[in-house]
Amino acid sequence: MPENHVSDIHGLEPQEFLSQVHSFEFWFESVEGYLSGRPYGHQPDTVETPLSDLERDRLITALCNYCIGETVALEGASGLIAIAPNREAKIFLATQVADEGRHLEVLLRRLTDLGVTDPETEIEKHANRSLLTFRHRLRELVEGRDWEASIFAQNVILEAMEFSVFQTHAEVADPITREILEGIVKDERRHMGFGENDLGRRLALTPHIRDRLNVLRRSLDPLVLETFEDTLSQLGISRSEHPGLGRRYLETVERLGFAS
Amino acid sequence: MPDFLTAYSIQNWLESCPQGYLEQTQYGHAAGESEASIVLDSPKLRDQAIQSTVQLVVGERCALAASSGLINAAPDEGSKRFLATQTLDEARHVEVFTQRLLDLGVRKTELEPLIKEHANPHLVAFAEVLLEKIDKGDFVAGVVGQNIVLEGMAFTVFEMLYATNVEMNPKFAHTLSGTIADERRHVGFGENRIGSLIKEHPEKKAEIERMQKEMSFHMLATFADSFRESAPAIMEAQGILRGTNGTQAGASESRWQGRSLSTLAPEEMESLLADSVLKEFKIRLTRIGLDYQTPVAP
Repeated sequence: MPENHVSDIHGLEPQEFLSQVHSFEFWFESVEGYLSGRPYGHQPDTVETPLSDLERDRLITALCNYCIGETVALEGASGLIAIAPNREAKIFLATQVADEGRHLEVLLRRLTDLGVTDPETEIEKHANRSLLTFRHRLRELVEGRDWEASIFAQNVILEAMEFSVFQTHAEVADPITREILEGIVKDERRHMGFGENDLGRRLALTPHIRDRLNVLRRSLDPLVLETFEDTLSQLGISRSEHPGLGRRYLETVERLGFAS
Repeated sequence: MPDFLTAYSIQNWLESCPQGYLEQTQYGHAAGESEASIVLDSPKLRDQAIQSTVQLVVGERCALAASSGLINAAPDEGSKRFLATQTLDEARHVEVFTQRLLDLGVRKTELEPLIKEHANPHLVAFAEVLLEKIDKGDFVAGVVGQNIVLEGMAFTVFEMLYATNVEMNPKFAHTLSGTIADERRHVGFGENRIGSLIKEHPEKKAEIERMQKEMSFHMLATFADSFRESAPAIMEAQGILRGTNGTQAGASESRWQGRSLSTLAPEEMESLLADSVLKEFKIRLTRIGLDYQTPVAP
């Protein structure tokens, strides 16, 4: 693809633009830059910082819950393919499925590098209850074939939650974890963009769905906020030190006009 | 997680597929390659190319629905992650074959009606048998249907199409070579993952074997329809390959499975394809502990 591809596509008609950006070709152009030379999400020569036992345990607990979040995202995105309204959306979601699978893989690898011998058991041990409830709710929405509610819960709420947590954690993380999280955040930005774009167009055409999604948001927000509280405590960070975590989430969700 | 699954990691997939054999490709072929003029210039060959590509899109849409649907049914993280790569592979196949329809002159607005009109009813039924298992969350039957039967069929069909096109239409042959490499990986996963699950669930064997028989019937019926309908185009293409009409004199012979595709009658080609796919089924099903069931002849 030519180097000026990105600037070119913005001159396209809306439908053609969507067709281009929701393609395997565009996905690969997007990820190649930050995945190339970074097996398992970080550069091989990034040096491991010595961690105290407490820091290591806290990091493992947080990473276990990130694995759950990514599994929820993987299951949600794959389930959404069946109910996506068109080919372009299906193809975009397939790229998202691979992204979520990769996130899960790099986080599992990080757990192994930190000395966790049985990640699946460790994850089960540390599972956050609110996140598991969120997983259940999202699955219900997808199985109910409710596209608008599912894409809202998955690509707006869940992705905004992960985006906010990972960005906040990356600011204080060890160098390897930071590189991994920064790579994931780049993908999450693309996923949120898809959700915002799809829902934005739907809301413009059928404003009445906003009320329904607001009700859904109000039911999911407590789960998100409880997960935030838990993550901060897992990382040993007080909420007053990082007020930006909730704000990032709220800003992202409110961009779509879903005020709390 | 079973050890073999480490070979099917996303990291390995990234390095071997997008950063490997797909590097420097656009829609699966080299930049600047276009459909062969002999296909575009002959109404008969162009129509046949559109018809056959529609079936490829239908098959790949089924594979996309099946692989993504299997993720939620997968019993372990490693299988979920492999299926995530397969989901993206299948989406890419949908994309490259859809792009081929556009390259053959189909307008975007005509795509969906065209696919609906020309999709072979037996291929649609083949997909329905598989997707019913996926909808029920039946992982073992779903993987056999998807990664052994559907992918085994696709692999062999793509190989035959590759042999047919490698001289006549290099752009399409190049597109196919990437999909063949993908399908080989998918079939490998199916064989490796399912053998142990069949041993754990022997009670599922009879039901899965029935599914294989039913899917095989619809596959053979699809082949029969396709070769019958495209017989005139096949003979025209063979004429070109043999150089008898002077269009492409001297083109080398297309061979596949030891036979000359330039001289076989359409019904002989159908028979060669069907036999090759069924032979592969028998081998692979035996490896995973299932008994191949001979389908009713269509």
